[in-house]
Order: sequence, then structure tokens, then C-alpha cells
Amino acid sequence: MTLQNSNNTLFHKAVLAGCAFLLITSQAMAEVGHDDEEEHEEGHIVLTQEQIEHAGIGLAQVGSGTIRDVLPVYGVIAVNAERVQSVSARFEGSILNVTKSIGNPVRKGETLATIEANESLNTYSIKSAINGVITERAANVGEQTASRALFVIKDFSNVWAELSLFTKDLPKVSVDQEVRIHSVNSTVTANGKIVYIAPYGDRNSQTITARVLIDNPDGRWSPGQFIQAEITLSDTVAPLVVRNEALQIVEGRSVVFVQEEKGFEPRPVTLGRSDGEVTELLTGLSGNETYVTSNSFILKSEMGKEDAEHGH
Amino acid sequence: MLDKLIQFSIAKRYLVMFLTLIIAALGVWNYQNLPIDAVPDITNVQVQINTEAQGYSPLEVEQRITYLVELAITGLPYVESTRSLSRYALSQVTVVFKKGTDIYFARNLINERLQQAKSEMPDGIEPVMGPVATGLGEIFHYAVHAEKNALQANGQPFDATALRTLQDWVIRPQLRLVPGVTEINTIGGFEKQFHITPDPTRLLAFGVSFDDIVRAMQQNNANVGAGYIEKNGEQYLIRAPGQVADIAAIEQVIVTYSQGVPVRISDVAEVGFGKQLRTGAATLDGEETVLGTAVMLLGGNSRSVSAAVATKLIEINKTLPKGVSADPVYDRTVLVDKTIATVQTNLLEGAVLVVVVLLVMLGNVRAALLTAMVIPLSMLILMTGMVETKVSANLMSLGALDFGLIVDGAVIIVENCILRLAGRQHHLGRILTLEERFQTVFTATREVFTPSLISVLVVILVNLPILALTGVEGKMFTPMALTVIMALLAALVLSLTFVPAAVALLLTGHIAEKDNVIVRGAKRFYAPVLEIALKLRLLVLGLAVVFVLFSGWLATKMGTEFIPNLDEGDIAIQALRIPGTSLTQSLGMQFQLERAVLDVPEVKTYFSRVGTAEVASDPMGPNISDGYVMLKDRQDWPNPDKTKAQLIEDIQQKLALAPGNAFEISQPIQLRFNELISGVRSDLGIKVYGDDLGQLLTSGNEIAELLGGIEGAEGVKVEQVSGLPILSMETNREALYRYGLNVADVQDVLAAATGGEEAGLVFEGDRRFTIVVRLTEQLRSNLTALERLPVPLPQGGYVPLGELATLILEPGANQISRENGKRRLVVSANVRGRDLGGFVSEVQEKVDQKISLPPGYWLAYGGTFEQLQSASERLTLLVPITLVMIFALLMMTFGSAKDAALVFSGVPLALTGGVISLWLRDIPLSITAGVGFITLCGVSVLTGVMMVSAFRDGLANGKNIDSAIREGAMLRLRPILMVALVAALGFLPMALNTSTGAEVQRPLATVVIGGIISSTLLTLLVLPGLYRMAFRKPRIAVENAAAIKS
Repeated sequence: MTLQNSNNTLFHKAVLAGCAFLLITSQAMAEVGHDDEEEHEEGHIVLTQEQIEHAGIGLAQVGSGTIRDVLPVYGVIAVNAERVQSVSARFEGSILNVTKSIGNPVRKGETLATIEANESLNTYSIKSAINGVITERAANVGEQTASRALFVIKDFSNVWAELSLFTKDLPKVSVDQEVRIHSVNSTVTANGKIVYIAPYGDRNSQTITARVLIDNPDGRWSPGQFIQAEITLSDTVAPLVVRNEALQIVEGRSVVFVQEEKGFEPRPVTLGRSDGEVTELLTGLSGNETYVTSNSFILKSEMGKEDAEHGH
Repeated sequence: MLDKLIQFSIAKRYLVMFLTLIIAALGVWNYQNLPIDAVPDITNVQVQINTEAQGYSPLEVEQRITYLVELAITGLPYVESTRSLSRYALSQVTVVFKKGTDIYFARNLINERLQQAKSEMPDGIEPVMGPVATGLGEIFHYAVHAEKNALQANGQPFDATALRTLQDWVIRPQLRLVPGVTEINTIGGFEKQFHITPDPTRLLAFGVSFDDIVRAMQQNNANVGAGYIEKNGEQYLIRAPGQVADIAAIEQVIVTYSQGVPVRISDVAEVGFGKQLRTGAATLDGEETVLGTAVMLLGGNSRSVSAAVATKLIEINKTLPKGVSADPVYDRTVLVDKTIATVQTNLLEGAVLVVVVLLVMLGNVRAALLTAMVIPLSMLILMTGMVETKVSANLMSLGALDFGLIVDGAVIIVENCILRLAGRQHHLGRILTLEERFQTVFTATREVFTPSLISVLVVILVNLPILALTGVEGKMFTPMALTVIMALLAALVLSLTFVPAAVALLLTGHIAEKDNVIVRGAKRFYAPVLEIALKLRLLVLGLAVVFVLFSGWLATKMGTEFIPNLDEGDIAIQALRIPGTSLTQSLGMQFQLERAVLDVPEVKTYFSRVGTAEVASDPMGPNISDGYVMLKDRQDWPNPDKTKAQLIEDIQQKLALAPGNAFEISQPIQLRFNELISGVRSDLGIKVYGDDLGQLLTSGNEIAELLGGIEGAEGVKVEQVSGLPILSMETNREALYRYGLNVADVQDVLAAATGGEEAGLVFEGDRRFTIVVRLTEQLRSNLTALERLPVPLPQGGYVPLGELATLILEPGANQISRENGKRRLVVSANVRGRDLGGFVSEVQEKVDQKISLPPGYWLAYGGTFEQLQSASERLTLLVPITLVMIFALLMMTFGSAKDAALVFSGVPLALTGGVISLWLRDIPLSITAGVGFITLCGVSVLTGVMMVSAFRDGLANGKNIDSAIREGAMLRLRPILMVALVAALGFLPMALNTSTGAEVQRPLATVVIGGIISSTLLTLLVLPGLYRMAFRKPRIAVENAAAIKS
């Protein structure tokens, strides 16, 4: 072996070793950042019984149910205009005697005042035609009656609840619908029916008034009071309902997770009527199927978790 | 010059000793200031600008805040890149500065610009810079915890709000004062708020609006100072208190007069304590908790800071109400102590072994001790150097230190001094005079100084490519290379100055130069073996070549990893759910996880942060949680020998019990680093820049489809930018005109109802609590109720919100990422089974051909492939250059290419031993192992140079080639064995240790030990033969030997 040769070989070897080191380093670095992707079976979500229990996934059978669809509105208590009597003297004269003051309850036929007629000088008494409460009194002893109203008697045993309906709600509301009325602090409630919907609207508020007649035997409803009301739009039995918490939106569509032999399937459904608790299903499920009620979100999360990431 | 230095050291030996003492003292002093941590800090110079904007959706955050912040910082000097993230209620802009920029200077620059940007932002929006900290900053976590039966002063049990109040107003202010702590970050619980929750019906009944309540609160909740008056020589200060102090006072505030009747807040609303709309929560062992995190100031010493925090916390605990305590759940000290203990044990045991070797081989106690002195001295000089170069002491930086290697230079010098001193004594037959002793020490030092100088230079040279690494790799390994270089230089200087001085000072009297049993045995064994090796030199050489080829082949078959992971002892689990998961839901799922994992007997506690903390150093959505699983001490495990991998498997099994979560399992520091460096962590990231999110997504999906079809692509992912369910209110302008309303009127009603409106503060001493006007939770979360919200009309009366606007539920932008001032979307992919470069160029070509982007949109390529490419390019260039430089160095030394090549031939053989030992121990190749190979180069060159120069000396002295080789080899047997033994034994503890941190050092130590064995064998057996074969013209050798001597 010549000097030149050995020299070359050795130098080559050295370069080789260097390159080996380089290779090692670059390979080592190439390994960084790889993470394993988990394969996911499309369609069904498979969970063990243990997982279902641990995750607190609740199951229920699809069945029929009552849907009480309500429309909440605001309103105000008003006097029943049919139960107001304004009393004036039949013959002009001077007032001899007044027996009732503002606030006094009166019964039908009860004497309110005694008048001496100017022409006949006969005395006669003015009587109430309804049961009610004196709300106005314009009569004092010695005064001339002239033609003015001496008393206004209002009957509060039933009152009107005047509900404001906005344009959007109008088509849903009709006469005879049941209405539940709450006072502002919800301490008093009453039930009634819509008896009238005004054919004209209010210019300022763009509302239509719907009227509900409610009994007020102990005077808890005072005209002028604000109220909340719920108009029952429907109260029917639907053949297929699911609990509201079962509904999830996946890729823009409502789905219900249905338990099948292979696992849970996110089943697209079309929704019908709905209330605070249950929703009617029009398509998607048939009777007897078992669906996920509570913690249905966990299944949605399980479906999409592969894409979950922590980006910056 | 070197001669002068050595002569000076010997002559002024007391001065040298004194100077050494001073330098040592300086080292001790510097050691106190040395930042100590477990791992090197790989965070870049960055400033985060966080802006909180309660109630803003990602789109609004981007438009009204992020853009302005980005605009403000455009054009700042030294900026490398900016990136931003806009998500619900948070804008985060991260500005990355060029390496070496002073962080305080950078913050000043930003601060200046932010002032301008602030004026253009919506009222009450305040951009804040993140804490001055790095990824290693989160050093201490504690959980505020109340016992079940502990009661507050008002008789209520401590709830999440009460605990949060304690954290915010008792614990945090005190901990912030601990030196070295820059921030106490809080997550979990609820900030205490006073809530005024109006009832829409009652508002209508009284004709009062949300705004009226807010205005009334603002006008009835202030103290006023009114100057002073003088009276009879005295000065009276005047104040007019008017602040509300409690719920009762708020209730009494009058909102309006309605026909002479005052309407109080209590008439239209409920007042009580409420919960903030939080963006994050914390859990501990399946329950809610309040979690505090101490963040260390940049450049701090994590061990002392976290120890100080722990001490302070104990003090604070004494002042907390009965039954409440703040308990540490994570303390960096534990890890740092363990790691440092490992490094210390390794170094100490190594040092002891080295001393033992010296004692045995030199047979002279004084000589052995003075050589050993080089170890602490060079360590102390290293400390000074590390403080000066701002390298922190950690597993990586101290991990590659081998005391054997450090003392190598001193060893050969001392060994030769003893040899020559004893020889001279023997020759003269008497004890040497002072002058003679000095002369002998000088020549002996000078004689062997070249090999040790060269070996140091070689190690420095081979470390150069490491210094050229950039990015994360650079931050990891540059300190390692730096410390090795500094320690070696220190040792080199010491062996030039301290060692000769000490030898001259200490090695007086009679010096016995007789080999002890071991050396004699070795020589007796070596002589015949050398004979055989010389005779069968061709065979030996052939075997060596085969050996090199075999291990080269072996190396390609071995597994690789970047760096061995430091086992932090604890586990971090990041749990991810789909975007749009609510905080409450996420918490619920986190509880399920924690309860499941707590069943693993080795787990002590499991705490997590869900969503974003108060200081958004890590802006996570509520769908993500960072969990920390703290393990019990090993001796408390049912099976203390269980491996970490097994344990993680157990935990994974438990995690699988809770469906709906995806996991990423790592370790606390690792997790934090990943979050901070972020950027694109895949091999290839194609960034699409543009304006329209929809278009970005369309293009992104097209690219992803294309990528998926290219061979080698794996895990192709499009950045998740959408999927957050958004309830948006679209106003019907016609309806608004009909009622004479503005869009803002409707928006305000919705915002006040769901988001709430701040209406002032309630003060309790230092504590201040916000007053918020907001709808009750029941109404806020009910879509139908929102549609019925009354909007007051200017002419009186109201109209429900549903009449004026439509509420639509739709998926919207989850987060908007921007980079360098433009929206961007990343399509990322990893590459398997194919070379990265080829893959990337194929992708670029195909994308150019098939993807057409609308005007104003463009692409950029990024990802780890960039680093990989630049690192590869650098190394391809630097490694050969380094090798050439080493060769040139050797050539300069010997003046002969042949001799240089002979010495050089030791390198590949040394590497073979390293490869084989790795393979035997089943350790994959990694950069740490690579550093081991670098060290090996140094050792093998050192021994080679010693051997070859001995041969040449022999030739120069007129011996024939065979006897020159034989005698030279016998002469160098002792120093070579010593050098090899100290270097190998110095690393032995490191190779065998199993405690925390050992896994990082193990590959390095294994490589060096294996390599030294092969390299020593080579030097002793192959090199003499090789030299004999290469020996042709004695004339050149003689000349050169003469040249080197002069």
C-alpha cells in the first residue's frame, strides 16, 4: 500500500464517518413531530358498557308525548268595559243625601243618593244597577245634579287582560285559545281564554290587542297592572318525541344518537313542534328505538375528537 | 510564547497558586449566581401582547383589536416574525424578536407603540404584555382548598367564589412580592361580582331600561373629596362619601321617579352575588378548585425561586381562615433537585473514580491529588464562564462533562513529569536541585504538551458544527458544546500554568519511578500481544476495516430519536374536545377523566387547567384542558419497579373510559415548551395567506386533498378554524325604521342582557368587586326568552327583540390566526417512508400546477423541514470542513500528511465502539449520542498523537523503525491506559445511573465508554502495525521530528 493510497482511504473513511454522523443527526431530527393518528370507524361510535356508565350517558325509548307549545307575551290588566256603570240623575234636582263614598262596595239595587227633583219636588233615590265599587263620585249634599255623572261604579269581579300581539305572533293566535296569566312577580296566576282579537292596531307600538276575560273574585288583579301571559298554541300528543337534551347539531343538521347493535349512530332527524322539554320528530326515528338523552354531547365530541387540536 | 508561560508558571509558582486561588474564589462566587434548572430553556425572545375584550367574538376581536396591535408593531426593529390569535374575548399577538435581542428593550419598543394603538381601540380595552418569563417560568402550582366543614365568616361554606376571593386578595398579593416571581397567574373559581339582575317584565312595568339602572348605579356610587376649610386655626378636610358597600345599599339606589313614586333597584331587579363569565376553570382530583401558578422572572434561578415561593406559601397559610389552605401541587424544585442530584452524583462518582485511577496508575499520592485538583478548579472556572456567557446549569449543559476528559491533559503532563523527574534522579543518583527540578518539569511539560493541546483543539473543532445548529436544536445543544469547550479550555490553561507550578512545588524529594503491579502486569501482557499485532498487521488492519464497515451498517439499522426525553417524573395530559364545547361541559368531562385516572394506584393527584387563565400565557379554548398527573414516590407504588411506559399505558386505559376526549400525553415542561414554541410542528406546513376565511378554507381543503394523494404524506390536517357555534343576531333594518330605532339600541339590549354591563365597583378595603347588570342565568340561556326581550321604544312602550331581529345559530370562526399581518391557514402533513426534501419539492411542483389562488392570496412553506433542511445544509458543509480542519491541524503538528492520516484513522475505529455499545444496550441514536461521538474523536486523536509522536521521537533519536515502534508503544502504554481509563471511568456512573435525568446522559456516556475501549485497542494494536506499514522513508520522519522538537 502506497502512502498516497493509505492516505486516501483514511481520509475517505473519515469523511464517511462524518457523513454517518450527519445522517444520524438529520434522521434523528426527522423523527420529531410525528404523532400517531388513530383510525376511526366511520358512522358508528362504539363504546363499552363501562364507558357508557362512566360517561353518564343516559338512554331512553322513543315514544309519544305531549307537547305544550306556548307563546309568551306581555300585557296589562284593564277594566272590563262591559262592567262599568256611570250613574247620573234621571231628573235634575238637588242632592239631599249621599250614602256611598269612593271605594265603597255597592250591590245591585243599593241606594247611592237621594235627589229632590226640581220640577216635581219629589224625592227619589238613585240606585246601582250592578255589583261593584264606587270609583268616582261627583255628588255632595246640596249640589245640583245637572246632567253630569254622579257616580262611576266598576265591577272588578272579572277583568280583561289585554295582551299585546306583535306582527310575527299574530298568525299563531286565535280566539278561544287558553291563556295563563302571571302577575309581574309571578305570585298570582289565573287562567282564561282569548275572547277577542282587535281588528285594528296601535300606531306607535305596532301591536294588536288580544283580550282575555279573567275572573277576579278577590280583587287580586288590579287594572293598570303589568302582566306576563302564555298563550297555549297547541297542547297535543305527538307520536314520536325525544327529550330536548338529546338533540345535537352535527354538520349543520339536527341529529339524535340512536343505540344500535354496532354502536351509537348519529341519525339525522327533522324536527316538528317543540316545547321546553320535548321535541316532536317527524322523520329519522321509529318507535321502540333507544336513543341517548343525557350527555349526548359526549358522543358528538367523541365523533369529532380526532380533529380537535390546540392551535396557536 | 507557550514556553514562556510554562517557564513563568514554574518560576513564579507561588503567584500562580495565588492567582488560581483568586480565580477559584471567583468561581465560587459566580456559582451562587448561576441559574440552575432541569433542562435548557428553548424559548425564543418573544413578547406576548394579550388584550382581553369581554364579550367580543373572534371576528370582532380580530377587527377591532388584533389588527390594531399588529399595525402598531409593524416596522419595529429586530422583529423576526409576528403571529396572532383572535378568539372569544381574547386577542393575543406574539412578537418574536431576533436571537439576542434584550427582552426589556423589546418590551419598551412595544410599549411605546401600544400607547398609540390604544387610542383607536374601543373604550375600556387595554392591551397588556405577558409576563417577562420563558417556557420554564411556570415553576410552582398550588391549589386553594377548603375542608368540607369549613365556614366563611357569614356562615356559608367556602365555595369557588370565596376561594377565588382569598386567592385574589390574600394569597396572590403576597406571593407576588417574592423576589424572582414576575406573576401569579390564577385560574378557576369565580371572581366575586355583585349582580343586578333585572326582570324584563318589571322593567316594562316601570318604564325603566337597562341603561337607566347602569346610569343610576354610576351616579350613586362615588366618594368625593371637596377640599378643606379652615376654622379657628384648624384645617378640616372635607369628603362626601357616597359609595355603596353591600347588597342592601345597591338595592336602595333609586332608578327613577314614576309619577312621584321613587323606583328602587330592588323594585325592578334582584341583587346578589353572581358569577363572572369566565374563560377558564381549574380542577383537582375530580372537583373544582382555584389554581395559582407562580411564574418566574426570565433568567431566574428556578430552584431558589420556587423554594422561596414554597416558604412564603407556608407563611400565608397561617393567615388563611380556618379550614382553608393553599397546597403546593407542583414544585419545580423537586425535579431540579433530582436532576441536579443525578448530575452531581455522576460528576462526583466520576471524579472519585478518576482520582482512584490516578492513584493506582501514578503510584504517587501528591501527583494524583494535584492532578485531581484540576477537576474542581476547571469546574469553578467553568462556573464563571457559564455566568458570563449566560448558560444555565442544567442536565444538558453539565451532562456532557467528563472529568476524565478534563484531566486528560493534566494526566499526561504529570505522568511525564514523574517519569522524567524520576529518570533524572535515577540518572544523577541524587535528589535534584531546585534549578534542575524546574528544568526537568519544563521539558517534561513541553514534551507532551502538544498532544493535549491538539486533543483539546480537536474536541473544540468537532463541537463547532453543534454551535452552528439553530432553532430549538441550537438552544438545546449549544450550551452543551459551550460548556465542554469552556471546561476544556480551562483545563488546558490550568495544565499550562497551575499543573507545572504545582508539580514544581510539590514533587520534591525522592520520586520513585517504578511501575506498580497493574502497570507492570499490563506491560507484561501488552508486549507479546504487540509482537503478534505487528507481525499480523495486515490481518489486524483487515479486521479493523471489517469492523468499521460492520458498525457503519449497524448504525443505519438502529432506531433514531431527536434527544432522549428527560423523564420529568410527572405526566401531563392534554385533553381535547371538539371546538364549541362549553366550559361547564368540558369541566364535567374533565371530572370524569380525573376520577378514572385517580384509580391508578401510582397517581397522587391530578389537577388541570381548563380553558384560559387570567393571564392568557396559553390561550386555550374551553374545550381544551392541560392536566398534570403527579405521581407518588416510587417506594409507595404497589410495584416500585414498574416502568414509566407501563404506567402511562395503565393511565391510557383509564382515560379510554371517558369517551369524547382526545389526548396528548407528555410532561409538564415539555407541554409548556410545545405551547410556547408552537409554530408549525409538523414536517411540512403549507400556509395559505389571504383575507376571506371561507376562501382560505376552500383553498386549504384543496391543498389537503392534493397532499393526501402524494406518496409519503401522512396525517394531513387542515387547521381547525371554524366549528364554534355562534348565535348571531341579524337585525331587520326595515323593522327598525318603522319603530324609529337604531341598530345600536337593539345590540345594546342583547349585549346587556347576555353579556352584562359593568356599572361600577364595590370596595372592601383593597378588594374591589365589579357591579354587573345582567339577565338571570335562566333567561340568558333561553333562546325563546331572548327573542321576547323587550326593547324600549323612543315614544314609549316596547317591542320584543324578535320583532326587530332574527337570532340564528350557526357555526362560525373558532379562532382566527394571523401571521406577519395577514390571516393564514395552515395545512400540515408529516412524511413517512420517504425523504423529506424530495417530498417537499414534489409538493411544491404539484401545488404550483394544480392549485390556483385568487388574487391577493399566496402560499408559504414552513414546518420542521425548514429547520431540518437548514441544519442538514449546515452540517453537510460543516462536518467535512471540520474533518479537514482536524486533519490540517494534525498535519501542522507532524508536518506529515501520512502521520496525520495515521492519527486520523483512529477516529472511525473509535466510532465503531460507540455504535456497538449503543446497539448492545439497545439505545437509539440521538443527538446526545452524537455529542458522545464528538468527545470520542478528541480522545482517539489524543491517544493517537501520543503514540505517533513517541514513534517519531524514537526515530529521531536514531532508533530503527521496529525498535522505535516497540519502545514507543511500551513507553506510552501507561499514559494511554490512564487517559482511556479516566475518560471511560469518569463516564461510568453516568452510563449506569437510573435516577431522574439519567436517561438524557446515558447514550452519551455509553458511546464514550464503548468508543474508548475500541479506540484504545486501536491505538495499542492497530496503530503500531499501521505505522510500520506506512513507514517508507525515514528521512522525512527524522526531519519532521526535529522540526517538532525545535
